[in-house]
Parts: sequence; C-alpha cells; structure tokens
Amino acid sequence: MRLLILPAIIFMAGMTAQAQDVMRELKADVNRSAGTNYALPVIKTENDTPAPGGKKPFYINHYACPSSYYLQKEEYYDNPLEVFMKADSLGKLTRLGKDVLRRLEIIHNDAHNRTTELTKHGAEQSRGMMKLLVERFPEAFTDKGYYSIRSVVQNTAILTMIESAAQLSKMYHPLNIRTTISHEEQRFMNPQDKDLTDDRTDSLTMEHYDRFAALNTSEIRLMESLFNDQNYVAKYISPYTLSQQLFRLAGSIQNTDLTKKTTLYDIFTSEEIHRHWRKNNAWNYINYGACKLNGARQPYLQRAVLRNMIHMGDSMLKRYAPLAHVRYTNERVLMSLACLMELNDYGLETDNLDSLEALGWADYKIAPLGGSIVMVHYRKDRDDQDVLVKVLLNNKEARLPLKTDCAPYYHWNDVKRYYLRKLYRYENERFNEKLKK
Amino acid sequence: MENKMIRLPLRSLLILFTIHSSLFTSSQTVMDLIREKPQYASCNYNTYPDTIKAVLTPAPAGKKPFYMSHYGRHGSRYISSRTGYDTPYDMMNHADSVDELTPTGRRVLEEMRLVMDDTEKRWGELTSYGKKQHRQIARRMVERFPEIFCKGARVNAISTTVPRCMESMGTAMIEMLQINPELNITMDASKRTMWYMNHQDKKLRKYMTKEAQKAYDKYTSGLLGNSRLMELIFKNPDIVQEIVEEGMFNYYLMKMGLFQSNTHLYQNTYLQDLFLTEELYRMWQIDNALWYVQCGGYKVNGGKQPYTQRFLLRQIIADADSCFQLANPGAQLRYGHETCLLPLACLMGINGLDYETDNFEELEEKGWWCSSVFPMGSNIQLVFYRKDIKDQDVLVKVLLNEEEASLPFATDCAPYYHWKDFKAYYLKKLDAYKE
Repeated sequence: MRLLILPAIIFMAGMTAQAQDVMRELKADVNRSAGTNYALPVIKTENDTPAPGGKKPFYINHYACPSSYYLQKEEYYDNPLEVFMKADSLGKLTRLGKDVLRRLEIIHNDAHNRTTELTKHGAEQSRGMMKLLVERFPEAFTDKGYYSIRSVVQNTAILTMIESAAQLSKMYHPLNIRTTISHEEQRFMNPQDKDLTDDRTDSLTMEHYDRFAALNTSEIRLMESLFNDQNYVAKYISPYTLSQQLFRLAGSIQNTDLTKKTTLYDIFTSEEIHRHWRKNNAWNYINYGACKLNGARQPYLQRAVLRNMIHMGDSMLKRYAPLAHVRYTNERVLMSLACLMELNDYGLETDNLDSLEALGWADYKIAPLGGSIVMVHYRKDRDDQDVLVKVLLNNKEARLPLKTDCAPYYHWNDVKRYYLRKLYRYENERFNEKLKK
Repeated sequence: MENKMIRLPLRSLLILFTIHSSLFTSSQTVMDLIREKPQYASCNYNTYPDTIKAVLTPAPAGKKPFYMSHYGRHGSRYISSRTGYDTPYDMMNHADSVDELTPTGRRVLEEMRLVMDDTEKRWGELTSYGKKQHRQIARRMVERFPEIFCKGARVNAISTTVPRCMESMGTAMIEMLQINPELNITMDASKRTMWYMNHQDKKLRKYMTKEAQKAYDKYTSGLLGNSRLMELIFKNPDIVQEIVEEGMFNYYLMKMGLFQSNTHLYQNTYLQDLFLTEELYRMWQIDNALWYVQCGGYKVNGGKQPYTQRFLLRQIIADADSCFQLANPGAQLRYGHETCLLPLACLMGINGLDYETDNFEELEEKGWWCSSVFPMGSNIQLVFYRKDIKDQDVLVKVLLNEEEASLPFATDCAPYYHWKDFKAYYLKKLDAYKE
C-alpha cells in the first residue's frame, strides 16, 4: 500500500492540470466536444522520437475507427426538426428559434437517406490518414511490402477501408494488397460477449449516471432562447432530450460539407457545451472504459482483438519483407481497446464520474472519427532478438502501462508478457465464475 | 483421333478462332457451353470468363472514346442465403439418420459438410475469385480505353449499399490506380442512389402470376427429377422419397456443387461431377425459364419485367447527357446486382434480349441465354465517341461482358450507334410504359 502513496500524490497534483487541459482543448476547438464524433484532423504530428540503435520499422499493426460519417439514425435528424416545426406552426419560436429551425432543415436535408454513410470529408480523411502514416514510416511501407487490409462488415468501415486502400494504390506500384471484409473475422475485429455487455448498465450504475447527468443539466436558458412560451415547453417538450439532440447534431456538422456553412454550437454557452460533453464522456466511460461502477471489465470485450494483435506481432518476427495489417472497425472497439491496453493511462479505474476530466479520461482523445491505434514494430535485422514496439494513439506516441528504458519504445517481449498475462488473468476469472455457476 | 485431326491446321484454326471468336461462340449450343463449363448451367451462379478474346471494331474516322457509363454486377460471392444449401443438406442428414445413404451417399454428405463449414459466416460475401474478376475487368477497361481513363480523368464510382458490391467497386478502383495513379476517383455507396441502382418494384415484383406459375410448372414438370442420382445416393430411393423430395433435392444439390466454382473450393468438383451434362442442361432449362419469367418479356405475366430498370436506364441517359458539356467527362461506374443487370439488358434489347414470347421452348433457339448475360462480375459498358467537344454526332457502343453488342434499332455504323437515335428510341420506349 505504502508504495502506492507517492505515485498517488504525484497523480493528484496532475489532476487539476488535466482538467484545465480539457477546458482549454474544448475552447480551442469546440468540435472536440463531439467526443467520438470528433473528426480527427489530418495533420502531420510532431517529429517521432528516433528509434534506439539503428532499429527500423518492419511491421505495422493498425486498428482504426471509420472516418467521418453521418449519424447512425434518421431519428437523430427527424426528431428535433419535428419539435421545431410543430412549435413554429403554433408561433412558439423566438427569432433564434426560427433561425435554428432553418438550420435544422438544412442539416436534415443534407443527411436524409445518408445515415451511417461516409461523408466526403470522411473519404478525404481516410486517404489523408493513410498518406500521413505511409510518409511517416517509409521503411515499413515499401513496394516490396505486403498489405493486408480488412474491415468489419459495416458500410462506413468498408468505405473507409476502400478509400485508404485507394490511397495506397496511388502511392505504390506494384501494390501487393489483399482486402478482406467478412463476418468470419468478426471474432477478432468486433467481438461480441453478451454476458459482459449485459453488465454495462445495471440499475446501480444507472443511478449514479442519472445523478451525475442531473447535476450537469440545466436547460432553462437554452429553452428560453429558443421558445417564447415556457408553458408550452413544459407541456410538450422534453428539454433534456431536445438539448441532447441539438448538441449531437452540433457535433456532427463537422463531419459534413456543411461545416463551413452552418453551426449549432452558437446556441449553447461554453458552460453548457462543457456539461454536455461531461455527460457523454461519462456515458462512454461507463460503456467502454474500466468503470468501477459496473465492475471495470468492459474493456475486456476487446480481449480477442488484443490477443490477435499480440499473436500477429509474434508471427512477424522472422518475416523478410515488411508487412502492414490495416484494420477498420468501429469507434467503440477502439475506445475499449485503448482502455484495455491502458494507453496513456486510459485504463483508469474509478467509480467517480466527476473525476474523469481531472484524471484526463476524455473520449475525443481516445476514439475520434479517423482515429487509430498503431503498433509499430522495430528491429535491426531479421536476427535481432530485441524487437521494440511503439504505439501511436491517434497519430501520437503513446505511453504503455509498463517499464521501459527507451520510451516511447518498449521491448516486445515485455509488452507481450504484460498483455497476455493481463488477458489470461481475466480469462481465468471468467472461467472460475462459470464453474461456480 | 481428335488430336490428330487438329494437329495440322492448328495454327490456322487458332487464327480463325481469334478473329471470329464471337461468331464461333454463337454457333455453339447451350449443351456445348455446359459441356465446356458446367457452371454455365447454374445461370446467375455462372462465373465470368477468365479471358476476353473479342476484338473491338475501330470507331468511324476521327471519333475517339471520351466517356464511359457502366453498370456491373459484383464478382463471385458465397451463396447469399443458407436456404439453398440447407434444403439438400437437411434431407441428406435426415436420410443418414435412418441409415439410408449408400457409400457414395455418405461421401456426398461429407462433401456437403465441407461446403457448409466453408460457407458459414460468409453468406453473400465476395470471394477472392470475385475480386480477381473485378481486377481483371477494371484493368481491361483502363487498357482498352486509355483516352477515357487518362491522367486526371474523373472516375465516379458508386455502388449499392451491399458489402459485396462495395468491395467489388473498391477492388476495381484499387486496380485502376495501379495502372494510372493519376485518376481522380470518387467512391460512394449510398441509400440515396438505391432508387435506381437497385430498384425494387412493388408491382412488377409479383412476376409469378397464377398463369405464369401454371405454365412454368408445366414446362418444368418433366425436367426436375433425377432417378439416377437418387439410386446413386440412397439405398432405397423409392422409400426415401418420404423424406427426400426428388426434384428439390436434385435441383439444390446441383446448385451447391456448381456454386463452388465461385469459391476457393473450386478445385474440388466432386459434387459437380455427380451430374451428367444432360442433367445439368435440364437445370439450365429450368432456371433460364425462371429468369425469363422474372426479368424478360414473358408475355404470360404481361412482359413488363424489364421495366423494373426504367429508372436506371433513364439515369444512364441523363448522366450521359449532362456529361457531354465537359471536355473530359471520364467514367461513371455503377456496381450492383444481376437482378438489375439482366432486366436492364432486356429493356435495352441488347443482343435481342428483348425477345417476347409465351413459349419457353423458344428461348434456347432465340438465344435468350441468361447465363451469358449475368454471370458473376458481368457488366454493361456504354462507351461514347466523338471528334471533339463541339461534335454534335456522339456515337455510342455497348459492350456486354466486354464484347460488342447489338441494339434493337438501325445504325449505319454498327456496332456504333448514334446517341440521338439511342436516346430517342429508349425515351420513347420508357415514356410509353404506364406505371
């Protein structure tokens, strides 16, 4: 126990700074408040830490979210529009309310019949991300390399994959590529485990969340700004739901061509934006993070993905030509995977939803659209026994939960041991639980 | 014997074959085609030819290709629903449970298990062979029409929202960029274009009217059974009929066997080899007639089935018209399904596919052979020609599965047709259709 105190003190000191980070980052780019709908910009990141002792990248193991796409359901666009149209027909909208109605119509028309489809921005983002990666690791991406590129059977992911493959095809001739889209691979691309996911939102967890959400909710100002009759609002509108719907749409605009033409963020104060983000962030943490309220096990949903990542790494050790495994799945998988891998301390276990921000657990930093986890493997030559790996989370060098003498590089054998042990410990717990049943 | 006869004039025969390949093909009967390639009998499960031998006729003086409009089917896939496989598989398992299988029958069941295991979790998915087909087709497209797929050319590819179509599109585009990395490719797969990319016509979908069913049943009644197969597989073929319906069993087992040519099990022809050419031919007759009822001008159900693709044809025409103003319109490529491609070919009357009759017996003689039209990877390419952007007399040539095809109206420069005639003919036809 005593051993833990010192790191804990250092950790606490860092908390306030992290909370301010989030505030500052949301202010710098309000689009981040969209969380997993945040469109990760295609920007060349800072220079890479040089690899120690002449080691060169020879294997890329890549897992990515789809790029920008339209929201998943028509109702996300239909419902708020209907509320505003009805209020308008009864003369209940303020001037701002009328203006918002006009904007909602534009947003609705743009997205109509396009739900869950990659946007033009998403297509460009996917190509851009692949180009950045290729240019960053020229030794690993060569025309002698083999590119195995796969996607889950979901249209956004498929198109994201095709676009990035097209980018590769533009850059390499000949290109030795193989694409795969199959339900058969779901088990390590987007695993399902009903026993585990059924535990996500038990009544006690929901009680906590509802309390947290209530503390972060105040829609009076927004309703007064949009509707001229608060009796009407009280009778016919759910401010909580409507505000949430408007906020979701506000965050989704950045993924479309409308981004330069319209916004919905202006109807919220920065305080309201912050509160909305806090609620969504906590919800993501409960569902995909190691939240103690529901047992801190949800990241283990991705155990097969991580195991596959480790086994693939092992099977590449003696390869001659470079190889890249490029996979496109969904943001939920990426979020849990980052937590399972404890990248940048996102494996955080707490039951205090209020502390997430202070502890630096912010969804837009973990799994934004266009985001990825890339494990890059380094060696001197084929006989090199000490393979190193570096992990990029959303294109930035990430910290792993283990010791190393050459950060951000880690010894492959340590990485492998740490993760496999973690996974087997969990499997064993599950096994014993089953026996008890 | 045959070898000796061929040896001397082999070279000259080969030359003759290359020059007159289309003529040579058309002189073949369906039976010949099935003998050469058994999966021809499975109609829409037929695979795309590995090589295209057809030679393209040079365009009239001064005209150059400048735009392509295309509708293509996804490449080879796994069977899309398990019903087709479950039907014979369940019957076999049932028969096995009462010890009714002969040694051959047991081997057949083993082979069926192999197929079932291989297909599990892959229903409807594009196979490696399907991807290869699209790579080859895309490559030929770019190589045959370098003027269209030139540096900086716009290639606007869209697909239905079905994964195998999206992957077919992606595979084709990746290949095109291998040949010309300077192509300006956009891709999309949207519910927005489904109204013409994969139109589901509520009224015409009910193609099997009572009258059509009666006529179809009459035609197929003598074709369905296969007592030889029953005797091969079951110990007591007559008694086993209590649990194995002979017609269905024969039909679906044959389909299962023939389907494997689309997958990586293509080298294993055990199931396919159970059938004689005549039996495969009967299957072709059954299915060809069914596709005619569903997509062709079958008079008994009104003969309007091809009009399911009226929106697609109108869109193709509108897209083309809107492109002529551009100096380099590039290509518009659409990836969809055989259930659109076949009726589209019938609606356009490509190679006489608009033939209307109430008699199934005429189909073979009249060349209404669906297997040649819509194999996996099949495609219709409309290639447009003109002298320059001011040229008012745009010509169009239609390629069905990359071979020059005929259209049902007059021209003075076949296989090229005047666009104004094309447009007038089809718009008139489409306008005459009453919803």
